[in-house]
Amino acid sequence: MSLVDLMSMATPNFGSREKILAKLCGREIVNCFQCIKCTSGCTALKLLELKPHEIMKLVNLGFVDELASSEIIWTCATCLKCVQRCPQKASPYHVIVALRNLAVEREAKVPEGYLKAVSQILETGLAEACRKIVTRKMEAVDREYLRLPEVSKPKESFQAVFMKAMEEKP
Amino acid sequence: MKTAVFWGCCILTNQLGYEMSVREVFPKLDIELVDLHESVCCGDPIKSMNDFAANYLGARVIALANQTGLHDLFVPCNRCHFTISEAKNTIRQNQKAARRIKELLKEEGLEYNPDIKMWHTIDLLHDHVGLEKIRKTIKKPLEGLRMASHVGCQIIRYSDLGRVDDAENPHKLDELIRALGAETVDYAEKLDCCGSALTYSHPDSALSLAGSKLKALQTIKIDSLIVSCPNCGLMFDARQKDTATIIGVKLNIPVLYYTQLLGVALDIDEKRLGLHLNQSPIENLLAKISA
Repeated sequence: MSLVDLMSMATPNFGSREKILAKLCGREIVNCFQCIKCTSGCTALKLLELKPHEIMKLVNLGFVDELASSEIIWTCATCLKCVQRCPQKASPYHVIVALRNLAVEREAKVPEGYLKAVSQILETGLAEACRKIVTRKMEAVDREYLRLPEVSKPKESFQAVFMKAMEEKP
Repeated sequence: MKTAVFWGCCILTNQLGYEMSVREVFPKLDIELVDLHESVCCGDPIKSMNDFAANYLGARVIALANQTGLHDLFVPCNRCHFTISEAKNTIRQNQKAARRIKELLKEEGLEYNPDIKMWHTIDLLHDHVGLEKIRKTIKKPLEGLRMASHVGCQIIRYSDLGRVDDAENPHKLDELIRALGAETVDYAEKLDCCGSALTYSHPDSALSLAGSKLKALQTIKIDSLIVSCPNCGLMFDARQKDTATIIGVKLNIPVLYYTQLLGVALDIDEKRLGLHLNQSPIENLLAKISA
């Protein structure tokens, strides 16, 4: 289903729009005048058909619920070209991050990779697990073998405070 | 200069060649590195789930760096550098979030002090050490080599945040390469993203983006692609074979971290620079340099 379909079939929800605006703290998305500079340089447009200017328009028109449950918001490659080039400082990237955060709050479908990162951080403090790596000659080596210092762990208190931070809804 | 260093997850867990080469090269340029007491996530993957929690993690890195008593923090990863910069920015601009972040840090006995300068590999070498000193220190100039640079995205965008180089026309990494005696080439795809952030949600598309950039590079006949971000290094070097499979093209582009290349020019042993860990075919390049 394309985003245009979402618009023609749904009714706007301005309460949800307010939630996004609150998350953006000061970034004026109403200033977007659809110049399409964001979309013309978008990394994800090439492969995944992300059109940031459409996202901006849909949020401004109040179709936030549709976007928060749509897979399109998870296609951004976070290259930040849209933030850099937006002449209105409306910053599509930050709008997409706010939509993703809203989707997580509403327990919508979140790509597996992000959930794994959270559980890995809770377990070790790092978003990825330390593992053996192979040399070009297929020899398995680790940090110790390479004489690199041991990876230090976070304090015991880290886990609980990080969970508290994850429960905050700005 | 004595600086704290925050490596981030990607370098510590798999891009060990970057870490090894930095640890070898920096002392030769009079930079002393002090590791933080804890290795933790900068908050980057958490941004998409909860921006507040990401800013909290970013601020936590600064608080850990504050514990060292130093006023410089070296962050060699583009994504970590961006995430921590945004956290600093949020604390400066959003009083409510700042208050809550400081409360949470206090629960762990941590205190946040923004008075610490952040550095990335590019600006630390280009702006602090300087091209002249690099030129004077190297022992083996890399003449006759054609190099392409890939700066990455988050270290040059967005400018309002304060980034290390020009957002549309970055030149510092190229200048650093030329300081070693090599030639740099301009190419149309220079600002194209490696796609690594899509690994979380669309792994095949991520590989496809990296692959199409490598395919374009293959047509301009370069000796090596030089990177300075562990995520870009992971995509272009460690996963080069996977990107080739996805786009259905044979790829053989040698990929090196700038610090590895600098190490070669400083005549440091290949294994100490982690050059045996690069997965792309770098043998011919190394042979050409030592010839």
